[in-house]
Parts: sequence; structure tokens; C-alpha cells
Amino acid sequence: MKVVEINDVFRTYHDTEVEVKAVNGVTLSFEKGDFAVIVGPSGSGKTTLLNLIGGLDQPTGGEIIVAGHRLSELRPSELIDFRMEHVGFVFQSYNLIPVLTAEENVGFILSLQKWPKEKRKARTQEMLSAVGLSDRHKSRPSQLSGGQQQRVAVARALAARPEFILADEPTANLDSKSAETLLDIMVKLNKDEKMTFIFSTHDIRVMKRARRVITLEDGRVVSDEKVNHR
Amino acid sequence: MITSIAWKNVWRNKTRSLTVIAAVTVGVFAGVFAMAAINSSIVQRIDAAVNEELAHIQVNHKEFRSSSDIQNVIQDPSTVISVLEKTPGVTDITGRVIVAGIASTSAGSAGVEITGIDIQKELEMFTLSQRLITGTGSYFGADTKLNSAFIGEKLAKELYIIRYILTPEAFQSLESKGVATSVIEKLKPLEGERFTTEKKLTAAYTGLLSPREIKMYGMNIKEAAWSYREGSRIILTFLDVNGHQTGGAFRISGIFRTNNDLFESMSLFVPEDELRRLTGLEEGHYHRVIARLEDDDLTNSVTPVVREALPGLEVMSWKEIQTDLAMITDYINQIYAIFMVIILAALAFGIVNTMLMSVLERTRELGMLSAIGMNRRRIFVMIMLESIFLSTVGGFAGMAVSAVVIAITGHTGINLSKYSEGMEAFGYSAHLFPTIGADFFIILTVLIVITGILSAIYPARKALQLNPVEALRGE
Repeated sequence: MKVVEINDVFRTYHDTEVEVKAVNGVTLSFEKGDFAVIVGPSGSGKTTLLNLIGGLDQPTGGEIIVAGHRLSELRPSELIDFRMEHVGFVFQSYNLIPVLTAEENVGFILSLQKWPKEKRKARTQEMLSAVGLSDRHKSRPSQLSGGQQQRVAVARALAARPEFILADEPTANLDSKSAETLLDIMVKLNKDEKMTFIFSTHDIRVMKRARRVITLEDGRVVSDEKVNHR
Repeated sequence: MITSIAWKNVWRNKTRSLTVIAAVTVGVFAGVFAMAAINSSIVQRIDAAVNEELAHIQVNHKEFRSSSDIQNVIQDPSTVISVLEKTPGVTDITGRVIVAGIASTSAGSAGVEITGIDIQKELEMFTLSQRLITGTGSYFGADTKLNSAFIGEKLAKELYIIRYILTPEAFQSLESKGVATSVIEKLKPLEGERFTTEKKLTAAYTGLLSPREIKMYGMNIKEAAWSYREGSRIILTFLDVNGHQTGGAFRISGIFRTNNDLFESMSLFVPEDELRRLTGLEEGHYHRVIARLEDDDLTNSVTPVVREALPGLEVMSWKEIQTDLAMITDYINQIYAIFMVIILAALAFGIVNTMLMSVLERTRELGMLSAIGMNRRRIFVMIMLESIFLSTVGGFAGMAVSAVVIAITGHTGINLSKYSEGMEAFGYSAHLFPTIGADFFIILTVLIVITGILSAIYPARKALQLNPVEALRGE
């Protein structure tokens, strides 16, 4: 089942008099349960493509359909609701809310979605347990290591059961051990919950775990390979 | 959750938030306390005007107030009294006989308004008797062969009935009030000397004391030297109903002290019967009939009713007589509100600045919140709540401090005697007992919340202008 369809998408920026084609005619699709990475050199359009898929940015050409929604047809306020309901984001710099505890951060989107308190609490505990941080539920981000913060970010992204997770360089700020732990967790969630993960990364450790590697150069897809891990 | 985050955000940068909160606290306290002090002055002035000088409603002969002619009496006072008795809200009524005259002693004289009163009735209706200066006698209680007069301190001074003498008792009084021994020693050369006016006493000790000592102890010295010989006599001269000059000797039964210099220097009260006898005014004829109401708030509604019922007479409320005071009373809440709006507007700039800093340093976080699905309305509400929390915490702290200080000073009072001459010349007390109504705090709470909301608009708009992609890329 296709979760994301990208049809001949362009994203062009006009920087003074120079036209920059950050995404240049990309056509891709992602199936439910994909564990895909988008790789490529800096400036190849990885993050731009992720922003387009997540509805944070609008293409200047082409069409993106996510979970049945044509993103170009959604108004800005509908795009925000779309993101809340269908997309989970994991950012390079964790981006947790510093004044909230780990469990409050995880439960934040659930509260935006008006989940009942008990249900919210149960789901929060479930997700913190899934990322191995049950015992740190009362800790604030400043009391957690980088790896732990990123695990909380993953739990937050997954809590509301989105269609897929977009992770932009999620391991870039982590040490090897923390990165491996995080990837173990994401692989397990992908397997157990059939959660679709789409990464943009330079990290070889992420590429090694991916089942699909898409390479971008100058905003174009230059390769799209399936990888079998035995 | 939004409320909780907003509250926690306020305390992210404690120093910055506490600085703004402290500024709001001090601003609100300063505003509220200043208004409570002003309010007390006005409340005391109104209280004095109604309870000591004017009553709520006065009925006069149409020409009396402009001419003060003794012939301008109310022709049918029984009708006036009957109308007032039947008017709902009126509680007490009495008549007054009023003549213009001259009060004199061997040392001085002054123009006065001599008011003949029903002593018992006035005692029930007014509180002027409570203004008696201790040691000067009583409110018409003296059993003397001569007629009694109850006069103001200012008039007594003008007639030189009050003098200033530094007696041994005066020195003892100074000692008990903690006046430095060195100062008392310096004043010794003045012992026993009589000064006919306060000015002369001041001139005498100014040559003996340093400016600092005068500033510290001047008021104590005047109070200690204040001297009155009980039972002093004055001569009152005025015209009778036939236009012939007449008068009589009156013994001072007591001296009153109010906050109104003009009232004190002009008003002199004598028993109504004696004034009738001396002027030849018929029994039952009055120049003025005055009435008190159940509540001051009834003044505006009852006065027109009485006026309509008594078309041939001049019917005036105290507000129409003291128009300046009435205007202040009627617009006091608006005046307070404008005053507070000015203070809060100044504080709003501090809040806007703080909120703007807070928003700009959270660019990435706000971008993230927008990215994960927090819509514009929620972000706006969050920023708005942060600003409201900042202003209300400071506002409530300011109000709490004000309430405590007002409660204390409302009990102990604030003595502004050093500046009293200026204030009392306009009828305002120099001893303030700050007070302010609970309704003012309600208005203030609303104003503070509005300040918080208005202060948040610009920073919140800035937050909403953030593009999540650019905001996330920002750091």
C-alpha cells in the first residue's frame, strides 16, 4: 500500500537573480513499512524533499499525495492539521520542548489531538517503554543525554500513530553507541508496528540498516535501490 | 497543556521574568496606593462636607444665598418640613437661622456667618461636635450666664483667643514627645513669653534653632505652646430684622478643628433661641432648612423630587453647592481608570520587550511546534497566555502589596501636616487614611489582563510570521 506518492516534483528557489532547483523532477513512492533513507551530498535536496513530503513546504511543480491527501490542495491551516495527524517528525537537534518532561513531550501531540487523559497516559508510557526510557519519564530534556533526547523525540513522533516518520539526520549529533541504540529501536518499531520510516542522512550506520537507499544529486534521484539484510 | 506550557515558559528565564513582574508590581502598587491616598482625601472631604458642614440637601429662600439678607426667610417652613418628611430617603431635618456679622475681641475682629442652631437636633445630625479640640471646653455644654458660641480654631486664632506660650507644662510635653534636650535648652529663653500668632512663635524660635531642628521639631513646639484660656468671650455684632445694629457677648463653649480652613474661619454656631431673641426673628422662621438622607447615593435622585415639590424655594444638594467636590466624586472612577491606564501602558512596553525577546530566542522551538501540528491559533494563545501570566502575576502581587499597605496606613494614617496649610486651605485633611473600594480592584484586574493581551499582540504576530522550515533551519 502506497503511503507517499511523489510525481514529478520540483522545488525552485529564487535567490536574488539565481534560480536554484533544490528538487528537480523527482518521482518516488513509499510503501507502508518502508525503512528508506535518502542520501546525497550537501545541497542535493534531501531536506527539501523531506520538507515537501511532510507538508512543511510546497512544491513549485508536480504533485505529492500522502495518505490520500493532495498536499497542494490543502490550505496552510489544513496542512498543520495534516502534519499533526499523519506525519511524525524527528529532527537532527531533537527539538523537544525544554520546559516539559519526557512524558509531557511524548504526550504533547496527543493532547493537541485531544486524546482522553487516561488513554494519553497509557500511550505515553507505552512509547517511553518502547524507546527504553520508562524510568526517565519525569526528566526534562536538559536532564537527558543527546541519545536519550532523540529517543524521546522518536517516541513523540510515534505516539499519535502517524502514517510515517520523517527523520532528518536523526543520528548526526549522537555518539556511536547512542546512534546504534536509536537505530535498534527504530528498526524494531518498523518491524513490530509496521511503521514507515523515511530518513535523510549522511550517516553510514543508518544506510547499513536501511532496506531502501535513494540517492539524490542536484535535486534528482540518481539511484533507488532495495537492500536485503540477512 | 497550552496553559501549562505557557506558565512554564514564563519561568524559563527567571531573572528576566522576575524583573518584569517586579516592575509591574511596583507600578501597580504605586498607582493603587497613590489613588488610595487621594481617594481617602476625597472621602474624608466628602464626609466632612456632608457630616459637618452642609448635610445632603439645603432649602433656602431664593435670594438668601446671594444676599444673606436677614429678611430672606423661608415664609412657610412647616410646608418645607412636611415635604421633606414625606420624601422617601430623608432621615433628619432641622432649620437654621443665619446672619452675617462681625466677631470681635479686644485684640481682633473678623467677619463671620453666625448660625443659630437647634443644639440637640444638630448633635444628632452632624459630627461637628466630635471635632472639639480637647481642653477647649465642650459642645454647648458650658453652664454659664452668657450665651455660648462654638467656633473654629482658625477664627479663634484670628480673634487671638488662641495664643502660644511655652509654659513649664509645654516643655514637659516636648520632653515626653522625645524632643532633644539640647533643643529644649535652646528654647528656654522663650519660657513664659506670649505669642499672639503662630507666625510670631515661629519667628522667635527660628532664631534659636537650626533649620534641621526646626524641620524636625517645629510642629511639636507649636502644638506644645498652643494655649487657650477656657471661657474666653467674644462680641458678636449684626443687624436685626429691622435693619438696626445689634449684638451680644458670647462665651466660647468650645473650639472645633476641621480640615477646612474657610469653614473654620467663617463659621460660628450659637443657640437658635438666643439669635432669634437678638435679631427679633419670629419663632418658626428659618433661613435654611437642611436634610440628611439615608445614603449619600440618594442625593442625585431625592434632590429633584424635593425641588419639584418646593417650586418657590432654592433646593440644592451638597453636590450643587460644592460643585468641584461633586465633579471629583462623580468622575473619580474614570479618573482612577485613566491614571491606571497610563501606568499600565508604561508597563506594557516592558512586557512587550520581554515577550519579544522570548519569542525571538525561541524561533526554532516555535518552528518545531508548528511543524508537529500546533496550529497558529494555539501558538497565538500560548504567547498571549505567557504575557497575561507575566502581567497578572505582577499585577496581583502589586495589588496584594497595596492591600496590605493600605490596610496598615488606613489604620495608622499618613501625616502630611508639614504640607497641611496648603491642603487644609482647600478643605482637605492633612492626615490621610488611605482607602479604596473593592470594585476598584476588579476594574484593575480587568485592566491588567487587557494590558497582558495588548502587550502580547505584537510578539504573537511575530511568532505567527515564522515559517517552520526557515525557523527549523535557523540554528
